[in-house]
Amino acid sequence: MSKNNELVDDLVAKLKRRQLVGSSAVAQATLKLLIVVISKNNWTTCNQLLNIVKSVGQRLVQANPTELAVGNIVRRVLHVIREEFREAESSAQQSSAKNQSEFHAAPLTTSSSMYNLLGETNSIPDDNVQYSSSLRSNIIQEIREIKDELENIYDSIKNQASLQIHSNEIIMTIGRSKTVEEFLKMAAVKRKFQVLVAESAPSYSGQDMAVELSKAGIETTVIPDSAVFAVMSRVNKVILGTHAVLANGGLVAISGTHMMAAAAKHHSIPVVVCTGLYKLSPLYPYDEDSFNVTFNPDSVLGFEEGDLIDKVTVTNPYYDYVSPDFVNLFITNQGGHPPSYLYRLIVENYDPNDHTFDL
Amino acid sequence: MPPKEKVESTEQVLQAVILADSFDERFQPITLETARCLLPLCNVPLISYTFEFLAVAGVQEVFVFCCSHSDKVKAFVKNYEKTSNMKINTIVSQELMSVGDAMRELDAKQLIDTDFILVTGDVVSNMKLDQVLEEHRARRQADKSAIMTMVLKKASPQHRSRSVGDGSLFVLDQGSKECLHYQPVKAFKSTREDRRMTMNMEIFDKHPEVQIRNDLIDCQVDICSVEVPALFTENFDYQDIRADFVHGILTSDLLGKTIHFHEVTDVYAARVRSTQMYDAVSKDIISRWTFPMVPDSNLQVGDCYEYRRGLVYKEKSVVLSRTCVVEEKVVIGANTQIAERAVLSNCVIGKNCIIGANVKIDNAYIWDNVEIKDNCVVQHSIIANNAVLEQGVTINKGCLISFKVTVGANTTVPAYSRLTALAEGEEDDSDAELISDPAVVGATGRGRSFTEAEGSDDEDEEEDPKNKQVNMLAFDMSELLLAAREQENSASDFESEASDLEEDQISPEEELDREVAATLDPLELNTLRMATFSNFLEMRKRVIPGVLKHIDPVAKPGSGKTAKEILSRWGPLVGKMIHDVDDQIDGAHVLHRACASLFQDVAQAQKVFAPALRYFYDEDILEEDAILEWYHSKRSQQGTDTEKKLREVATPMIQYLEQSDSDESDEDDDEEEDDEDSE
Repeated sequence: MSKNNELVDDLVAKLKRRQLVGSSAVAQATLKLLIVVISKNNWTTCNQLLNIVKSVGQRLVQANPTELAVGNIVRRVLHVIREEFREAESSAQQSSAKNQSEFHAAPLTTSSSMYNLLGETNSIPDDNVQYSSSLRSNIIQEIREIKDELENIYDSIKNQASLQIHSNEIIMTIGRSKTVEEFLKMAAVKRKFQVLVAESAPSYSGQDMAVELSKAGIETTVIPDSAVFAVMSRVNKVILGTHAVLANGGLVAISGTHMMAAAAKHHSIPVVVCTGLYKLSPLYPYDEDSFNVTFNPDSVLGFEEGDLIDKVTVTNPYYDYVSPDFVNLFITNQGGHPPSYLYRLIVENYDPNDHTFDL
Repeated sequence: MPPKEKVESTEQVLQAVILADSFDERFQPITLETARCLLPLCNVPLISYTFEFLAVAGVQEVFVFCCSHSDKVKAFVKNYEKTSNMKINTIVSQELMSVGDAMRELDAKQLIDTDFILVTGDVVSNMKLDQVLEEHRARRQADKSAIMTMVLKKASPQHRSRSVGDGSLFVLDQGSKECLHYQPVKAFKSTREDRRMTMNMEIFDKHPEVQIRNDLIDCQVDICSVEVPALFTENFDYQDIRADFVHGILTSDLLGKTIHFHEVTDVYAARVRSTQMYDAVSKDIISRWTFPMVPDSNLQVGDCYEYRRGLVYKEKSVVLSRTCVVEEKVVIGANTQIAERAVLSNCVIGKNCIIGANVKIDNAYIWDNVEIKDNCVVQHSIIANNAVLEQGVTINKGCLISFKVTVGANTTVPAYSRLTALAEGEEDDSDAELISDPAVVGATGRGRSFTEAEGSDDEDEEEDPKNKQVNMLAFDMSELLLAAREQENSASDFESEASDLEEDQISPEEELDREVAATLDPLELNTLRMATFSNFLEMRKRVIPGVLKHIDPVAKPGSGKTAKEILSRWGPLVGKMIHDVDDQIDGAHVLHRACASLFQDVAQAQKVFAPALRYFYDEDILEEDAILEWYHSKRSQQGTDTEKKLREVATPMIQYLEQSDSDESDEDDDEEEDDEDSE
C-alpha cells in the first residue's frame, strides 16, 4: 500500500533489533518516516490517508510494542490528519456541514461505535469534494509543528525548573534521564541544591547521570539502590524520569523507580515526574508486566556460571510499573498537571478511534 | 532493501558465507526429510537466527551453501529475502561433502572479493561483530599474513551450551591475540592420539606468554580474508575448518600465515550442532540469554508472541482450556489448543497443535501440526511436524519422532528411540513402501525404528560410538561413565605394550600409514613423503609392512598372493626407499619387525620372512654386509619370541654368507652398529 516500504522496513528492523531505543530517538525517527510517507504517497480522501498511516503505524508498533512513543506519535499524526480534513471539509462546504463537523470536533461525546455510524456520512467526504491543493502542505505543516515540539521539548520542561526546586533542597532521582538531567541543570543555574542519585542496578545508568550532573557543578552523591529507603527521610523532593506514561497516570520507568516512589510515599515526600507529552500513551495497563521488557539476565547472573544457570531462573526486567497513586505531579512541556488531569491531555492529543490501529 | 546511497557510502559491501549443511547425521531421521538449518528452534527456522545475527552485524550480501534438501532451503531463502534488507544468494552443489568442499567451491566461483564472515547455518548469537571486524581489518592493514579471526566465547567446561562432544583446545597469545595451536578434543578419548597434544616448541621461543585454554566455546564464527578459500583449494585434503584448516595452517612452516582470535564475554553465541545442543540453545532462548533474539521479538514475519511472567511465550490465537496448567518456560505457537488438565513445562509447542486432556509434556520440543491425544506423557524428546500420538502413549526421554509418524494407542516408546515414517531406502527410490513395525509404534501406528546406515560415513567409522551418544538429546553422562571406565582400562594396557618408537608417533603420520597402504606407487609415495615432511626412514617403516600385508602365506602359487609373486611386483619399490648401507641395515630391521608383528603364527611369519630376505639379497636391495650386521646387532637378538624365531630362520643364510667371506671380523661391526642404532 505504502510506496516507501524500504524506509519502513528499515525502521521496523531497527526497532525489532533494538538498534534504535529510547523514547525520544524513537519518536523523532517515527515522525520523520511519517512525514515522508504522507508526502510521497498518493491519496485523495481522508480514509485513504488514515489507512496508509495506520498500516505503517501498525507495523512499527508491532516491531517493538514496548516503545510506546512510536504509537503515540502515530496517533498524534492521525489526529492532526483528521483535524485538517475536517477543516478543509468545512471550508469546502461552507454552510450546513459546518454544524456537523463541529459536533465532530468534540470527540468526547462520540463513542467509537456511534462515530463509525456517523463517520460513514460525515467523515468520508464525497468524491466530488475538491480539497484545496494546500491540504497536503497544511498537514505536513502541522506535523512539522509536532516535530518542532519534540525538538524543543527539553526547553519547555526545564523552564519550569525554578518553580519546582528551591534553594538548599535535597533532591533524589534514579537512573539516567535526559529530561531530568536538563531540568536539574537548569535549576542549578539559579539555585544551589544537593542531588542523590540511586545507581539503578543492574544497568547502573545512575552512575552516568551523576557524572553528568557533577560536571554541571551540582553537588551529587551516588547511592546504591538499597540505601534509597534509608536516606529518603532527609529528601525534600523526588524527581523522576520515565519511559512512558500510561492512560491512568501510571509510569513505565527504569527498574528501581517503583521502590523509590513507594519509599517517598511512606515518608510523604512529593514525587515529581518530568516527561514530554509524546510519552503520554492512551493505553491502559491491564497487567503490570504488559509494557515491560525483560533483558538478558547476563548482568544479574553471568552466563559463565555454567552449572548454576541450569538450576535457577533469572529474570532481568528493565522497567518498573509505578501506579499513579505514587505520583504527585507531572511536569510536561505544557505545564504541570496532577495525574488526575491526564485524561484531558489524552483527549486533546489523540482521537479515540486511534487507540488501536486495526484497519 | 537499504537505500542505495547507504551501500555506496561504505567502501565495500560486507559479505558473509553461511554453510547451511552440517555434513553430519546427528539429527537423523528428522534430517532425512528436511534440511538441518530449517528445523524450528523455538518455532523459528534455525537459519533465521543466523540471518538475523548477520543482519545486525551489517552484512549486506550473503551466500548460502547448501547440499541436502537444497530445494527446501532455496525456497525458504527466497521467501526470507523479501522481508530482509540483505541480498541473499543460494549456492547449491550436490557434491559438497564437507566445509572444505564448500570453500573450494567458493574459491572456484570467485564470489568473494573482500574479507567475509564465515558462519554455519546453525549459529545463534546476539554479539555485535563491528569490533571484531574493525580489529581484523586493522590487523590486515598492518600484516597481510593475518588471514583469519576466530570469535571465541568464554564458558566454564561444564556449561550446558557447550557441545559435549566437540571440545577444543586453543593455545593463545593474549598479547598479540594470536592463536598458536589448535587441537580438537573428543569427549571420550579412546585412542592415544585423542589424549595427546603435540605442539611445536618454537612457540615458546617466539611468545613469552602462552595460554592453553579449554574454557572457550568455539561457535565457528570466523572473519576470513580472501586467501582462506584459496588455501582450501591449495590443500585439497582439508575438510574441517578447525581440525584440518586451522591446525594445518598453524603447524605449517611454509605458509607463514597467522590466525587470530577475539574473545567475547557478555554476549551469547552457540551452535546447534547436535540434539543435545538443540535442547540447550532452546532453553537459552526461552531464558532470554539471547536477548534481543527471543520469541517475543518475533523474528519471523507474522508471528505475534507475547511474553508472560514465568518465561511463558504465547501467541494470541492459542486456546488454553480453563484447567490446563502452563508452568515455567513454555512457548506455544499460533492456533494451538490445549485441553483440560494438560500440564506443560519447559517445552516448545508449535503451530496448530492439538494437545489432549491430561497430557503431560515436560522438556519436549513439539513442532507444527502435531496431535497428542488424551493421557499421553512426553518427556525430553523431539516430535516433528504432523506426528500423531494416539491415546495413552508414553514417550520416554531422548526420542526423536520424525515427520508424520503415528504412534498407536497405549504404546510406550523406549528411551532414545528414533522413529521415522520414511520407508527404508526411500532416499534412493521413492517406490519403496513403508513397512510399519507394530512392536515399536503399536498396532495402529505408522512408522518404523530408524537405524543409521552402516558405513555411510567412512571418516568417522573408527570413531568411538560413545562420542556420538554424548551428543544425543537428554543423554545422561552418568549412564555413560560406567561403561567408559572399562574401555579406558583396556586402552591403557595397550599403551604400555606399545614400543618406544611408536609412542612418539602422532596422528598425521598415522594418516600417512593408511595412505601408503592405499597407494603403493613410487611416484605418489615420493610426493606423499614430501607432502608430509617425512624422511626415507619413516617411509620404510610404512612401505615394507604395507607390501608384506599383501602376502598371503597360505596362498597357492599362481594366485598372485604368494610371497614370491608379491615381492617381485613390489620389491623394487622397497628398493627405492633404500640407498646406502645404513638404510639397508635399517631396512632389514624393519623387515624383521614387520614380519613378526604382521603374522601371528610363527610358521607363517617364517614363510614370509625367509623368502623376503632372500629376495632382497638376490636383488641387491640388502647387501651382504648389511644382512650380517643386522643379524649380529643386539637389537635383532632382543624382542619377542616370534622375532627371535624369525632370526633363527635367517641363520642358515647367515652361515652361508659368513663362509663366503670369512675374512671379515664381526665384532667391530657390532659396536659400530650399536652406535647407529642409538642415533
